[in-house]
Amino acid sequence: MSNRTLPRLLQSPAVILLLIWMLIPLSMTLYFSFIRYVLNSLRRPEWTSPSFSNWRGFGNYEFVLNSKDFLFAIQNSLLIVCSILFLTVILGVLIAVLINKTFPGQGIVRVLLISPFFVMPAVNAVLWINMILDPVLGLQGIAVGGLNDLVAGLRDAPVVGWFFSLWPEFNPISFRATQTSAYAVIIMVTWQWTPFAVLIFMTSLQSEDQQQKEAAILDGASAWSQFRFLTLPHLGRPIAIVVMIQAIFHLSLYAEIEIVSRGNGNKNLPYLIGEFANNNIGAASATGIFAVILANIVAIFLLRMVGKTLME
Amino acid sequence: MAIVAQSSKYGKLGRTVLAWTVGLLFFFPIFWLVLTSFKTDADAVKPEFLFFFTPTLENYLNMTENYDYWRFATNSVITSVFATIFALAVGIPCAYAMAFNPTRATKDVLMWMLSTKMLPAAAVLYPMTFLTKSIGLFDTHFMVIVVLMLINLPIVIWMLFTYFKEIPKEIIEAGQMDGVNTWGEIKEILIPLAWGGIASTALLCFIFCWNEAYWTVRLTTTEAATLSKLIEGNRAPEGLFFGRLSAVSAAAVGPIIVLGWFCQKQLVQGLTFGAVK
Repeated sequence: MSNRTLPRLLQSPAVILLLIWMLIPLSMTLYFSFIRYVLNSLRRPEWTSPSFSNWRGFGNYEFVLNSKDFLFAIQNSLLIVCSILFLTVILGVLIAVLINKTFPGQGIVRVLLISPFFVMPAVNAVLWINMILDPVLGLQGIAVGGLNDLVAGLRDAPVVGWFFSLWPEFNPISFRATQTSAYAVIIMVTWQWTPFAVLIFMTSLQSEDQQQKEAAILDGASAWSQFRFLTLPHLGRPIAIVVMIQAIFHLSLYAEIEIVSRGNGNKNLPYLIGEFANNNIGAASATGIFAVILANIVAIFLLRMVGKTLME
Repeated sequence: MAIVAQSSKYGKLGRTVLAWTVGLLFFFPIFWLVLTSFKTDADAVKPEFLFFFTPTLENYLNMTENYDYWRFATNSVITSVFATIFALAVGIPCAYAMAFNPTRATKDVLMWMLSTKMLPAAAVLYPMTFLTKSIGLFDTHFMVIVVLMLINLPIVIWMLFTYFKEIPKEIIEAGQMDGVNTWGEIKEILIPLAWGGIASTALLCFIFCWNEAYWTVRLTTTEAATLSKLIEGNRAPEGLFFGRLSAVSAAAVGPIIVLGWFCQKQLVQGLTFGAVK
């Protein structure tokens, strides 16, 4: 008997907890998404508490679909997630191949490289947007200012002066505008997650078949074709895993967006939900359901791709 | 041959220089944060004090006064430690059962657990706020601990499962023959054998709890607010407080970065669920 019941008993706390965690809030979101529910309304106080009598059908969904922010938030979510995935995978592969072979100080370089991954997202955002990217007081502002001073000084120099007088005055970029703050988010998250990709690709490279590689070298294969036909196929599975894990994390990116873009119009789905949730709970819930659907599409797609290999 | 050796020598030098450059570039923002934390607020925004300045400890000494740092740090420690302990307490028996008594459903259960991770937190933001407020748990340590535990439970179980799978089944079965009960098996056989795996799971879980920045920001105000909330609340100093903000940020991330250095390897295994070795 204990062969079957005991294992179930041991698993049940975890399964029940996760089931509750998944089902109760989600069914509440589903319910709220079909009723009129706002936090403050002087005109219609009956809307301020959830009740079936405020049934709205698909009204909230229609409202969300028609709001101009929604489409923008989806586009922006996809822009941010896809750019980060693209950059981290490319940079990750290049850096992993670069530091995989032994060189003096390899251990230290590894430690330096992995560090950004452990920085908490709130600090990451505050650090980049203020101390580094700020157009006046940050490093960017100081660097651009310094460059301008240097060029201005060189204009009066003999011989090469004419060349520098052709140079324009450089302007620092403000990363607090709607579109540029999305780039700021991409930069800071790429900085944080490239180390993760490097770490995984490096681990995978260490299990690469060395004999195959030596045979290729003996056959006179160039470094590029070794990379293209041996290393890259070997990295296929880790790349898929890096993409999957990052997609999970970045679709719900929040702290960075909140800190970088408060009030300037740059938003992704989680941020939009937070905005709606300040008052219009019905709309926030409908947006939430859309976010769940989007996440499910991505999840099904990704699990198809890597789910099987995970179980081997 | 000599030419090949020559060129590969230069190639090696070039690669070393390039690798160091990349490493230093990636580390630079952290270095900059720490450097700025030793400048006064006034010096921190002056170009002439970029690298050469009179270092001061003032920002660190005034952390309590400026930001009430220790209260937030204590909250971070309490919530992360207890969330990790609870996640292990629930996760170890579960992973044990899955690894040593797998059924046909085990794979599906594991996949389903992973899929709960994909549920966007924002989708259930309001219900969670509503629920916690209506049962009086909003902004309490207990609530933060429960939520942190739940969001990390799938990863904890996955990691433990991949470690436990490596243990030969015969050892556990030998224990059963000797008449050890399940609790004894876990305590006397499994935990000592998988100690390294459990420790690195705990470490990683702790790091994730410490860095979590959605629920800790949205479900707390003052009482149970963690360091993420503290930094998020001081996000736009407009150049006035770069020095002191850097100090409090460096204090918030420093311990975790050092912890992270020690569990690089485990991080790979844990986050890829053993699929990359």
